[in-house]
Amino acid sequence: MMSEQRRLHPAAIIFNFIKAIREALFVIIISFISFKDDYLFYYLLVVAGLVLIILTISVLSWYRYTYRLVDDELQIEYGIIVRKKRYISKNRIQSIDLTASVIHRIFKLVKVQIETAGSGMSAEATLKAVTVGQGEQLRRELKVVQQGEGGEDFTRNQEELDSPSKQISWNRLFVAGSTSGSIGVILALLAFGLSEIEQFLPDQFFNQTFEWVIGLGISIVIVLAIIVLFVLYLLGIAGTMIKYGNFTIQKNKEELFITRGLLEKKQLTIPLKRIQAIGVQESIIRQPLGYVTVFAEVAGGSLDKGEDFSTVLFPIMKREEVDAFLQEFIPTYVSERTKLHPLPKRALKFYLFRSVIPFFIVAALVLYFYPQFIWGPVILLLASLYLGLLRHRAGGFRTEEKLLTIRYRVLSKNTMIIVHKRIQSYEKKQHKLQKSQQLATLNLSIIGKLGVGKHYKLKDLAVNDVDLLADWYSYRKKG
Amino acid sequence: MRQPPKNRVAKDAMKAWKISAILSVGVLWLISLTIGILTSLFAWPIWIIFIALVISVVSTILFVFILPRLRWRRWRYEVFEQEIYIQHGILIVSRTLVPMIRVQHVDTKQGPILKRFRLASVTISTAATTHEIPALLEEDASELRDRISGLARVDEDDV
Repeated sequence: MMSEQRRLHPAAIIFNFIKAIREALFVIIISFISFKDDYLFYYLLVVAGLVLIILTISVLSWYRYTYRLVDDELQIEYGIIVRKKRYISKNRIQSIDLTASVIHRIFKLVKVQIETAGSGMSAEATLKAVTVGQGEQLRRELKVVQQGEGGEDFTRNQEELDSPSKQISWNRLFVAGSTSGSIGVILALLAFGLSEIEQFLPDQFFNQTFEWVIGLGISIVIVLAIIVLFVLYLLGIAGTMIKYGNFTIQKNKEELFITRGLLEKKQLTIPLKRIQAIGVQESIIRQPLGYVTVFAEVAGGSLDKGEDFSTVLFPIMKREEVDAFLQEFIPTYVSERTKLHPLPKRALKFYLFRSVIPFFIVAALVLYFYPQFIWGPVILLLASLYLGLLRHRAGGFRTEEKLLTIRYRVLSKNTMIIVHKRIQSYEKKQHKLQKSQQLATLNLSIIGKLGVGKHYKLKDLAVNDVDLLADWYSYRKKG
Repeated sequence: MRQPPKNRVAKDAMKAWKISAILSVGVLWLISLTIGILTSLFAWPIWIIFIALVISVVSTILFVFILPRLRWRRWRYEVFEQEIYIQHGILIVSRTLVPMIRVQHVDTKQGPILKRFRLASVTISTAATTHEIPALLEEDASELRDRISGLARVDEDDV
């Protein structure tokens, strides 16, 4: 048992430093813009002082941060002036994840993230940089108690041997990248970046470039645009591939274990108990190709794991493979996902109305102010009409003994599978128009990330169905 | 969910809501007054004060005289052994089921206005949502709170 006080690897200084600089960067840049003309010298002096202070603090906070294992506790002491001690009992630890950013990998280090059972953001420790060996040792030692508890180490080991796991193939990874639709995000970032840079470039440069582009003629401009788009697209593919490269999911007895990332290596442990719902997402690009993403809603957890709002269980697979995947990893959630009870026909007009109305307003405004451009909104109007149709068609639900499956579409088509006991509350909503049409909206709440509620809405179901679902949900009759 | 819940909230709720509506609308009237003064000082066009007045009058009628009554008529609740059933909403009627085993804690709450009428509201929290039964008689509210917290029993392993 390791019990001497230990410091983090000195590289932690770099991380402290980078983090502090990043936080101060905004102020530094803003003040640069306002002081660069008149007070440049003093400005540089202040910045140099600031950097020096940050550096000192980084070193000190590394020096004052120690951890050690005593009996069944991880004891962390930190704080430069105010000393803080955090003791985490082994039994309370739910997951220990080792992740490595690019800098970590250069020094052969890992970041250890320790999560406890408390829901929400509470008690969680992060060791910013320890060597890979120490990280793994720490994990082994902190996990020992948990495994020994049941007194069935032997069977456990055996199970771990044939625990199922699944890794993404390079082919699939490429498909995932090329259908990720992240080009939109990159375009937005680029546009934002350009508008920022614009302020720093002299006007002359701008005018010259503009004249140059005009001089090129329309065909060359189009070719250039296509090349730029293509490069962005490739970047998008690369981004997704880096994020999900080597994606592996593995099941141990009571937890799912995910590792991913080509440059940055991330690890994520998901205790099965904390999964609140399983989702299957078919994005508008992937749906025609038959590819889906499987994700989970996990209660608690923290955002600094770099996960989005839902936890991806597998980034891409064929629609037909989902059942086998669920069967293997989370058998509780196997349902007849495709045989859903649809929305009633009379709900269609509500769906069309809802998706068309914003574009209708836009079209009316354009018709009034710029009638020559009316074709733009009209195309959008038709597209939104079609989207409304798709949304109506996607809507549906199904109950099995303990499982509720609902499907809805915003842009992507989502199928959510929720276990009865995970639903925190059930709401039926009805406005006057719905009432006259015998329709109602269903609103389910489950626990989401950071202990904040997550709500699923299914609009314009037949009122009868909503009531039947309420009977299914109600604890009253079953006694 | 076919039948609405049985119990209504206290009748005095209407008075309490009316008073809090008067307070909010009072702010609107203050703004109108300011606009009126500014209009006469700076010779702004007369329609500005006209619009401000219309907005104030309409919202006074709506929020002070019409809505509290409608709201009271719609608000209903019923507490069963296994779950809580709440109905509310004026334009959009919402009916909610909250199972007892999902309830994490129950609070009673009382602001100065509710206190004047010896009323209190009960707030029921699950891990994901919060629900409120507003403006019950004080003793009803605390009795309800005790009853719900007695019935609530969260399964530890479900969280």
